[in-house]
Amino acid sequence: MRRRNILWFTIIFVALLLLPIIFSDPFSLRIATEALMWIGLAISWDVIGGYTGRVNFGHGAFFGIGAYVTGILMMKGGWAFPITVPIAGLTAGLIALIVGFPTLRLTGAYFAIAMWSLALAFQQLVLLMTITGGPDGMRLPAFLNPEFFFYLMLGIVSISFVSLWYLMECASFGLKVRSIREDESGAMALGMNPTKIKIQAFVLSAIPAGLIGGIYAYWISYIDPASVFGDIITDQAIVMTIFGGMGTLIGPTIGAVILFAFKTLFWAYLSDYEVLYLIILGAVIALTVFFLPNGIWGTLSAYLDSRKIKKFGEVISQSTGDDNEYV
Amino acid sequence: MLLLLPQALLDGIMIGGVYITIAIGFSLAFGVMHIIDLAVGEWIMLGAFLGFYLNQWTNLEPFLFLPVVFFVFGIIGYYLQPVLFRVLSGKKGNPLLMGLVFTFGLALIFKGTGLTIFGFYSHSIPSILSTSSFSIEMGNLYLTIPSIRLVGLAYAFIITIMLQYLLKKSNFGLAVRALAQNREASGLMGINPKRTSSYVYAIYVGISAMTGVLIGNIFSLSAQMGAKYTVFSFFVVVLAGMGYLSGVPWAAFLLGLIQSFFLIYFNPGYTLIAVFVILYVVLLISPKGLFGKGW
Repeated sequence: MRRRNILWFTIIFVALLLLPIIFSDPFSLRIATEALMWIGLAISWDVIGGYTGRVNFGHGAFFGIGAYVTGILMMKGGWAFPITVPIAGLTAGLIALIVGFPTLRLTGAYFAIAMWSLALAFQQLVLLMTITGGPDGMRLPAFLNPEFFFYLMLGIVSISFVSLWYLMECASFGLKVRSIREDESGAMALGMNPTKIKIQAFVLSAIPAGLIGGIYAYWISYIDPASVFGDIITDQAIVMTIFGGMGTLIGPTIGAVILFAFKTLFWAYLSDYEVLYLIILGAVIALTVFFLPNGIWGTLSAYLDSRKIKKFGEVISQSTGDDNEYV
Repeated sequence: MLLLLPQALLDGIMIGGVYITIAIGFSLAFGVMHIIDLAVGEWIMLGAFLGFYLNQWTNLEPFLFLPVVFFVFGIIGYYLQPVLFRVLSGKKGNPLLMGLVFTFGLALIFKGTGLTIFGFYSHSIPSILSTSSFSIEMGNLYLTIPSIRLVGLAYAFIITIMLQYLLKKSNFGLAVRALAQNREASGLMGINPKRTSSYVYAIYVGISAMTGVLIGNIFSLSAQMGAKYTVFSFFVVVLAGMGYLSGVPWAAFLLGLIQSFFLIYFNPGYTLIAVFVILYVVLLISPKGLFGKGW
């Protein structure tokens, strides 16, 4: 099972590596880079939202923090871009640590609310400070090399994906986190420290968002409070994860690809009706919760599993000559 | 500086009155159904726009529409509650999380619909009281009281007292309190949990929407105002303790005072940051709200 996963990862990774050779025009590369960015944001949201079961309505704050840290360090500090991106990720992680400490000790609802107000507060702060350029935003030096950003984004997102896969699906950390989602007091009774594990998961989810934000700032070369701290970033990451399937890493990836493709087509053909996009996002999320609470991937994998069990049952009934009625 | 202090206090209390009414229904709905409704600000927005259009259409005093708005949104809430109940009582997944996400989807739909229909502009609902104000002069102390804010405060008191009376004195209130304590046992005592929850949700949506009209009168209304009031409402409810109704007025006055002090003494842009810092400190010291009686 694990060997097959590694094989799949390698095939997809190589296919993505070869992508710029097949689609070399900047427009396709830009779309591919942005799709990768959304995959990264969705899987990082899923670590705290899906695996740990704590809905974070302020995930966009970490993205924005990463973007502004890179922007400030490059423009005011004159630092080189390769140094600023790790610092952006670390800053996001540090803020997650500080904020998560009081809020994650409580039930999920407090955390959701506190994080939302944190995101709004950061947006306000950036609007008011002078170092960030206030509402005018910041302009970074343009580096017009789409391949560079594509490979950088691919690198960061695949490193995040593989390390999160290892932590969540192979290592014991994933089991701990899931046990806290299912029953926190039960996990505590088994000798775990839920707060510590939740904070670890939260920091783990904030770091990729900060890194991606840092890359985004240099890639787009213009950031302002509305574009990097806007609600829409968190909203889209949440909708993608829930649509694809929470508590898995493949689900958010599928959800991000489908919704991003839809978004691109929507903006290409229906850009006059931009607010309609909000309604569609809301309808997708509400209908998914109502009809497919496990998302696309969760429902699909449950269906495949049930077929496997059925097949297994047939094999048993054939070998024992028994009727199929108990299976 | 010090001369402005009484005015700041007075303003804070008058603004706080409005915040009581945006949070009290929400706290009630949480206490009974344990639902965190992320669409609370959007209900306020939709109610404000209903009031705005009724006012444009009839040119009557907006306060006359309050019962109309309450009934219209009460009916919407009554019929929406079973849907929410189905999400919350789902077998799969974490119900609280699913409820949060579902109401988040509703909030997005409402916001998008609001922006589509009402546009991005800011409006205000005109009223006779909007322009009138009276002032008190004592020596070199000078206080201005806009009549509309005083009416807002009175409205908040009336709603709070009516709700308290309903909950503490009536049979319906007894049923609601029983339901908040134990859902199964209250069902055994002959209370219809589904219908009672629907009524509670209807009251919550109705009060929120009705307050929207008042906010449209005192401040302004636009399709984007929802998020701000959702945060304020959450702040009040969390500070009071989730589901603890008696704490709501004190937390609401605190929020009003923070806002008026920031407006007079500092930069009003820092209000949200101050709100977050206070929320953070309160959660750190007393996780169950200021009074430690939250859920």
